[in-house]
Amino acid sequence: MSDGLAKAIFWIGTLASLAVFLAMTVHTHRSFDALTHADALDERVVAGKRAFERHNCNDCHTILGFGAYYAPDLTRAYARLGEDAVRRRLESPETVFADSYRKMPQQHLAKGEIEDLVAFLRWVSGIDNHDWPPQDSPNRWKRSTERLLANASLSPAAALVRQENCLECHALGGAGGEQGPRFEWIGGRRDAEWVARYLADPGSVSKGSRMPAYPNLSEGQRLMIGEFVVSLAADRRAP
Amino acid sequence: MTATVAYRSQRVAYGYFALALVLFALQVVVGLWIALQYVVTVPQAVVDVFPFSTARAMHTNLLVLWLLLGFMGATFYLVPEEAERELEWPRLAVVQLVVLAATGVTALVGFFFGWTQGRPLLEIPTSLDFVVVACALLFLANVGTTLVRARRWNAVQGTLLGGLVFLAGMYLFGMPFYRNLAVDWYYWWWVIHLWVEGAWELITAAIAAFLLIKLTGVERKVAERWLYVQLGLFLFTGIAGTGHHYYWLGAPKAWLWVGGVFSALEPFPILLMLWDTWRSAKAHQAAFRPRLTWVYVVGMAVLHFVGAGLFGFAHTLPQVNYYTHGSQVTVSHGHLAFYGAYVLLNLSFFYYAMPRLEGLPGGRYQERAGHWGFWLTSLGVVGMSLAFAVAGVLQTYLERVRGEPYMVAQQPMRFWMAVVFLHGLVVLAGVVTTVVHLLTLKPERVAAGVPAGVPAVRAAGSA
Repeated sequence: MSDGLAKAIFWIGTLASLAVFLAMTVHTHRSFDALTHADALDERVVAGKRAFERHNCNDCHTILGFGAYYAPDLTRAYARLGEDAVRRRLESPETVFADSYRKMPQQHLAKGEIEDLVAFLRWVSGIDNHDWPPQDSPNRWKRSTERLLANASLSPAAALVRQENCLECHALGGAGGEQGPRFEWIGGRRDAEWVARYLADPGSVSKGSRMPAYPNLSEGQRLMIGEFVVSLAADRRAP
Repeated sequence: MTATVAYRSQRVAYGYFALALVLFALQVVVGLWIALQYVVTVPQAVVDVFPFSTARAMHTNLLVLWLLLGFMGATFYLVPEEAERELEWPRLAVVQLVVLAATGVTALVGFFFGWTQGRPLLEIPTSLDFVVVACALLFLANVGTTLVRARRWNAVQGTLLGGLVFLAGMYLFGMPFYRNLAVDWYYWWWVIHLWVEGAWELITAAIAAFLLIKLTGVERKVAERWLYVQLGLFLFTGIAGTGHHYYWLGAPKAWLWVGGVFSALEPFPILLMLWDTWRSAKAHQAAFRPRLTWVYVVGMAVLHFVGAGLFGFAHTLPQVNYYTHGSQVTVSHGHLAFYGAYVLLNLSFFYYAMPRLEGLPGGRYQERAGHWGFWLTSLGVVGMSLAFAVAGVLQTYLERVRGEPYMVAQQPMRFWMAVVFLHGLVVLAGVVTTVVHLLTLKPERVAAGVPAGVPAVRAAGSA
């Protein structure tokens, strides 16, 4: 091989790759606004991002899959947990994770900071990133929504969920509110008995919970709702 | 002590190497604490004061700092020899080391008190960033002026200077505050990816070419031709290969193609380098003396290929990465790739330069402890990476495929993190052995009747 050929390989290889990279960078910048819903990116969200960095959240959690791997990914945390649960984790991690084998530091966040962080996570959860992460993908929810719709006339538990307006605060499939955790998420962590006890008196099971109690339901009804919610856990088919 | 180096100013490199080695050992100690936190429950009171995040910031920043100090020291060592001229401002190089060390200590202590930019690997607060940039400018001015005044340009110098300017330039993209998280990560990778698969590759290629030329006496023209071809392939795959980080951050779908195709090619230049290193290591076996040098150079080529090439390729395709992204699979690749590519390159150079800076005849020393250091550290890191990989596959299957909640999926991974911790202890033993060995190199014992300069352990070592 001649010197000239070696140098040509170097320059052609480098410049070709650089050209592709820079062209893609321009293309990416043109697409960012639409893909990240930049119109919803207000000062509150930016303040939340600053708080996120100030408290070094990203060196335990991943977000968009980047960061440290010590704690759950936050890309869809808002959609998965709901606003109330996000807030409680930020306010008093020491009580929320009292039984967990892994703890989150109590950072004594100001009220405003918590609201900023919630706004930030809400905005992040709307980023169109080709349906990542898979565990929070809407593709998983649809099956359980179908199950709910199919069983509504047969399942007394589903009827109870409707009667008590649970979806006012909780999400299920593509429907529901954003105050409480999404139904599909609960069943992976809790059993029916736990949910039944929670329904009787949320505050005694999880300190600081803002969910109302349901003493109007019988113990049997609460257990039915528990079994129903647990059955919705995303993709728990036997392997 | 009398140095056997040709130029007095080369001796500034020693301080860089020594500090880098101490920080390396510290990095591993912090790493053990990090691994332990995956295994045992740390009480809330401890977590509130010294959370995982703080330890992780220290672990990664120590890595970056000591590798950069190593690169700078290597540059100060090889530039005078290549330019055939003393460094322009040797005292400035010492001042720069002191300032960088002070900055590093300030940053590490600052992390304890929550003084952080809060972005992984780039946690150093913005005000300290400016000090780092000032140091980089002094460094580039010092090296650049020396090379320009010498007017003896060759490919090694050009590649080295190009790599250093590239490195410093990319650092700037990590400094501003970005309002949009997706844009933030887009440019975060300009620092991290274009460092490790761009600028740092240029620097290591230049340093490796220098070592090869000095050790084997291979004709410079031949070595330089290889340098051009290898770098062309590295940069061709590496620059657009940045796209493999852009799959899931809110960037256009075209990145799945660009990132997938270019990064699938990334193992090839590394394979070429492995083949080339193996060829010259076989052809010039006698030239790699002491034998430890041979072990390091071959070990570097092999683990660079396995860690960066194979472990990287394993999860670089978007179809796979959709499930493995942001899991312990990434951690496995990260540890083995950094070790194989950059830790071993630095240590190889330290083993070449430090005995010469200490004036040991022919750069020879008692090498037994060095072999222990290499094998303990390398086997420890390989074992650790395999344990991370098992944990990562478990996480991928349980959390990403089955859809189990994060903490449920973490439970069966704890055993494998304990395996990581145990391998970490082996790594620590190896690193301490290596660091102590390098800082207390002893001239080789001269057996009766054997003239000085012929290694006593050589016969046994090369068998």
